[in-house]
Amino acid sequence: MKSAVITVTSGKGGVGKTTCAANIGSALALLGKRVVLIDGDIGLRNLDIVMGLENRIVYDAVDFVEGRCRLRQALIRDKRAPELYLMPTAQTRDKSAINAQQMKHLCDELRSDFDYILIDSPAGIEHGFHTCLAPADRCLVVTNPEVSSVRDADRVIGLIEAAEKGPAHLIINRIVPARVRRQEMLSTEDIAEVLSTEIIGIVPEDENILVSTNRGHPVVMNGKSPAAQAFHEIARRITGEIVPFQPLRSSGSILQRLFGRA
Amino acid sequence: MVTIKGLRGGLQINFGDGLWLSQLRELETKLQSNARFFRGGQVALNLHRLSLSPDDLRKVQALLDRHGVSLRVVLAEDIHTAANAIALGLPTSLSESNGVISTQDKSLSEIASEDQRRKRVADYPTDAASDFGGRTDGVIAQMDASDGLLVRRRLRSGQVLQHSGHLVVLGDVNPGAQLIAGGDIIVWGKLSGSAHAGALGDTTATICALEFAPSLVRIADAARACRPSERTKKNTKPEMALIKDREIVIVAWQAK
Repeated sequence: MKSAVITVTSGKGGVGKTTCAANIGSALALLGKRVVLIDGDIGLRNLDIVMGLENRIVYDAVDFVEGRCRLRQALIRDKRAPELYLMPTAQTRDKSAINAQQMKHLCDELRSDFDYILIDSPAGIEHGFHTCLAPADRCLVVTNPEVSSVRDADRVIGLIEAAEKGPAHLIINRIVPARVRRQEMLSTEDIAEVLSTEIIGIVPEDENILVSTNRGHPVVMNGKSPAAQAFHEIARRITGEIVPFQPLRSSGSILQRLFGRA
Repeated sequence: MVTIKGLRGGLQINFGDGLWLSQLRELETKLQSNARFFRGGQVALNLHRLSLSPDDLRKVQALLDRHGVSLRVVLAEDIHTAANAIALGLPTSLSESNGVISTQDKSLSEIASEDQRRKRVADYPTDAASDFGGRTDGVIAQMDASDGLLVRRRLRSGQVLQHSGHLVVLGDVNPGAQLIAGGDIIVWGKLSGSAHAGALGDTTATICALEFAPSLVRIADAARACRPSERTKKNTKPEMALIKDREIVIVAWQAK
């Protein structure tokens, strides 16, 4: 199959980009796809920690770009899935270490060996974001159900459209159905009205995430937790499968549950 | 008195019958007070019956240059003024400058790619005179009909849409997006961002939206912030903002 470069981004920091990238990438790999995760957050690398592969880094993406190693040497194999690799980034450099052209070249080199190339973009809309956007075939925009991250997601979706990388697909992360019901939190409908872009996943708030992040073990690897299920569904939707949205647990009216919309 | 209005291709600055030097100062004040709006723009200068020397023309050209405005055409009824303009190499009719005046570049910054923009401009007849067989009175009729820009899309946070004439948006204007128009603003959708109508000083300009929930509205020099309660109301009736007694009021929209 033709490979796809998917950039995970958000504008605002701390909404769960890295968690989404790690779990969706792992879930795709568990479906038998050949997956590589690229950490695009040069100087603030996190993806290796979330994946639990920090102590296996020898070379990184910047080493490859600057010619200090071969492509394969900058890839860390994750043995928990058949074909899952991480390309970590440098912690001692900054965003200027890789430009858009180099990132495109890096992805093109990986295309022949992988089905999905996921890039974990840095927060913000500056240089680092544009570098990660440049090679993208598709974009996943992560937002939380609160006004400021939705506002930033809107800005980022506009930039993605302007770069002709759209339409962006939206992931609503950390939703708490009970709080939506009490109108303390934006609902998926509220968010969809403002952003008017296709929603590819709704991930409930899940205490297992914190534990799994600290242990370097993505929830999708062993879990039937609510968030793990949501990430598995997103992975299947990315492959083109039509997966109906599960009603969020204990959420919505009876009618909403009947119609499968949370 | 100096008046400025939006044309299809840019702006037209009209000089009245008053004293030349005082009108020149008036223009300078206008350029200064809306510097951001004018910068990068193109103008047609209509001098009507004023009789100006080459020096006068050079002065006004220099003034426009200083504000980043390019003078594309001089319209003059006085035969000496017209001759002096030609001597300075300035086109003296709109049809002569055809193809030179184009929609102000910055008006669609970030919103449409360069190609889309060209296509959109190309959709309109660009030569006003050709619609009327090149007759001058035809050109004037075209000018009096107000010029507008129609944008069929949703405007997202951080996007700015600026036009010297009227602005019509078919779609929602999200929070954080900004509209700036020399004339009126019409949003066929929900207006949640900010809107500035009559940005060149036209206090009769209005802002209408199917769902009116902006963060800030401005008309000419007046501004009005909208309270959160006004913004979150579930109102589906079209509303309109206009200036009444020097203040912006928001009223239910009614067909006249």
